[in-house]
Amino acid sequence: MATTVLIVDDHAVFRRFAHRLLEADGFDVIGEAADGSSAVELARALRPQVVLLDIVLPDVDGFAVADSLAAAAPSSSVVLTSSRDADDFGERLHHTSARGFIHKHDLSAARLWALIEAA
Amino acid sequence: MTATALRAALAAGGLALGAVTVILSRSVPEEPVDYAHIVVYIGISWSFISAGLVAWRGRPKNPVGVLLVAAGLVRFSSQIGWWGNGFAELVVGLGRNFFLALVAHVIVVFPAGRLRSGLERMIVAAAYALAILGYVVPNAFDDGWTPNVLFVYASPTAVTVLGDLFDIAAIVIALLLVALVVARWRNGSRPARRALAPLILTAPLACVVAAAALAHDELGVSFTRPVDAALGWGGITTAMIPLALLVGLLRTRLHRSVVADLLVRLERSADPSDVRQALAETLGDPSLELAFPLASGAACVDEHGNTVELPAPGGGRALTNLSDNGRTVAVLIYDPFLLEEPELVAAAASAARLTLENTRLQAELRAQLVEVRASRARIVVAGDSERRRLERNLHDGAQQRLLGIRLALSLARSHAGDAAEVEGLLAEAEQELQDALEELRALARGIHPARLTDEGLRAALAALARRATIPVKVAAPPGRLPTAVEQAAYYVASEALANVAKHAAASHAAVTVTQSNGALVVEVVDDGSGGADAANGTGLRGLRDRVEALDGRLDLASPVGGGTRLRAELPCA
Repeated sequence: MATTVLIVDDHAVFRRFAHRLLEADGFDVIGEAADGSSAVELARALRPQVVLLDIVLPDVDGFAVADSLAAAAPSSSVVLTSSRDADDFGERLHHTSARGFIHKHDLSAARLWALIEAA
Repeated sequence: MTATALRAALAAGGLALGAVTVILSRSVPEEPVDYAHIVVYIGISWSFISAGLVAWRGRPKNPVGVLLVAAGLVRFSSQIGWWGNGFAELVVGLGRNFFLALVAHVIVVFPAGRLRSGLERMIVAAAYALAILGYVVPNAFDDGWTPNVLFVYASPTAVTVLGDLFDIAAIVIALLLVALVVARWRNGSRPARRALAPLILTAPLACVVAAAALAHDELGVSFTRPVDAALGWGGITTAMIPLALLVGLLRTRLHRSVVADLLVRLERSADPSDVRQALAETLGDPSLELAFPLASGAACVDEHGNTVELPAPGGGRALTNLSDNGRTVAVLIYDPFLLEEPELVAAAASAARLTLENTRLQAELRAQLVEVRASRARIVVAGDSERRRLERNLHDGAQQRLLGIRLALSLARSHAGDAAEVEGLLAEAEQELQDALEELRALARGIHPARLTDEGLRAALAALARRATIPVKVAAPPGRLPTAVEQAAYYVASEALANVAKHAAASHAAVTVTQSNGALVVEVVDDGSGGADAANGTGLRGLRDRVEALDGRLDLASPVGGGTRLRAELPCA
């Protein structure tokens, strides 16, 4: 059975292509959210195995959403993503409850698998 | 009758009453004439009358002078009693008491001539009430002397008890006066203490002496023999009050040397900002402040160029405007007690006028520097926030689209075997690329309009109008202007049209550029909802900085419901 994914990003263009890219490589994208609060609600309802979570969101930032997800959907593996460099987030990336970080430029099913399986 | 004639008549009356007193004192055959006491007696009355008349002339609006004259005249009235007439006795008794009430009144209201608190009003009212009741009530029960026109019912006990009660009340009032004067002195500012000096030097002593004399004469209290003897001459301490108060009210001549010192000091001073300190010391008011109205009339600044608020009237500070040819050079803000010395304030201000004009010019210059510094800081802040905005726009716009293309191409590669799928993905990638290029172009145009550099203001404004969300009419002269002027004019129009699109709910707008008197005038008018406030929003503030950096001016008229008119005048000679 394919691994289920929830994509959280306020840019529809990114969600659309990430959706198709991951599905093409065998993931099952079961939901999309455009902000942090709807992401937490959807994750609680859908129980995805993976949440691909953008860090810069219009309401709360991805780090806070990751913490909420750890409580709301503890079985989900959260992977952070952003079009900014990892350096821009400094120490926060090291202390996050998320599984890891993928730069949007480098997004691929293989990178996502590598992070999930490393755990 | 003029006030001068009235004063002359009262002076003559005072002299006449003195003469009458001497004559009457010689007309009582059974008593030896006590010339020493008559001299003291007349001296006290004359000191009150003469000091009162001079104070009245010098300070016509201050009631202290009138009160002193009244006290002196009333005191003379106690001589009439020697005529042996019942009504004359009444006048004598009431006159003696009223004299004391008037003195109490003067002590309370000196130097301003006003009652300032409920306590002060109470003390003065009690003094006058006591003056009447203290004489009328005991005498109503006294049949011990004739002719007593107040006599109603004989009761020696009532006479003694009531008399003693009223005497004690009078002693209490005298001591209250001492406490009041001492408290005002202790709590007073430096100018207040200077104004109160004549009072603190004379009134407490006179009050204590009067209270002691009352206790000795009426209540039978005995002090040591020398004190008892001295109390007989206690009136002298009362006579000192009007003379001291007169000196206090009319110290102008004493100020001349102080003002001369100020002139010398200001001439020597290389730093005109020292003028505040010099004035503060001359007027003896360390709290003195200076405010200089700016030429624009917008605000007042202190000698350092910092904006100051003028205190509201009645706010515990006194203000004096120093004008030159109808124009306010400076405003003096000082302790209201200095209002008792208007000549000193006027003389010092007059002496300092030239220096104050210099200080005002310097303060204006400093105020401009302060504003320039603030404006520069705002420009830096605006620049920073603009860079942040650009960074966000790049991330959220162009970069996201390019990312989309990257992902689409990645997908296309993985679908290379499926021709239809690949074609669709490539078409999407092309569209995304197109959008990304559009956004980047718009972004670049927002950072700097290339059209302005290449073709000038008219073409750039026309392009701006074409991109606007509502119809915009543009009228601008052809030809080129200095780059800074063109840019400022362009950004005025661009910011105004951006605001029209965001806030105005307008159906039409017009951008008009004209040249007159060596200045370029840009006007942007819309028919929207108005109510724009230049103080709100960094956009307009930034525009003002940009325009004022070119020594231009920006005006905004935006009545609610009446559209908005933004007008910039940019010197370009």
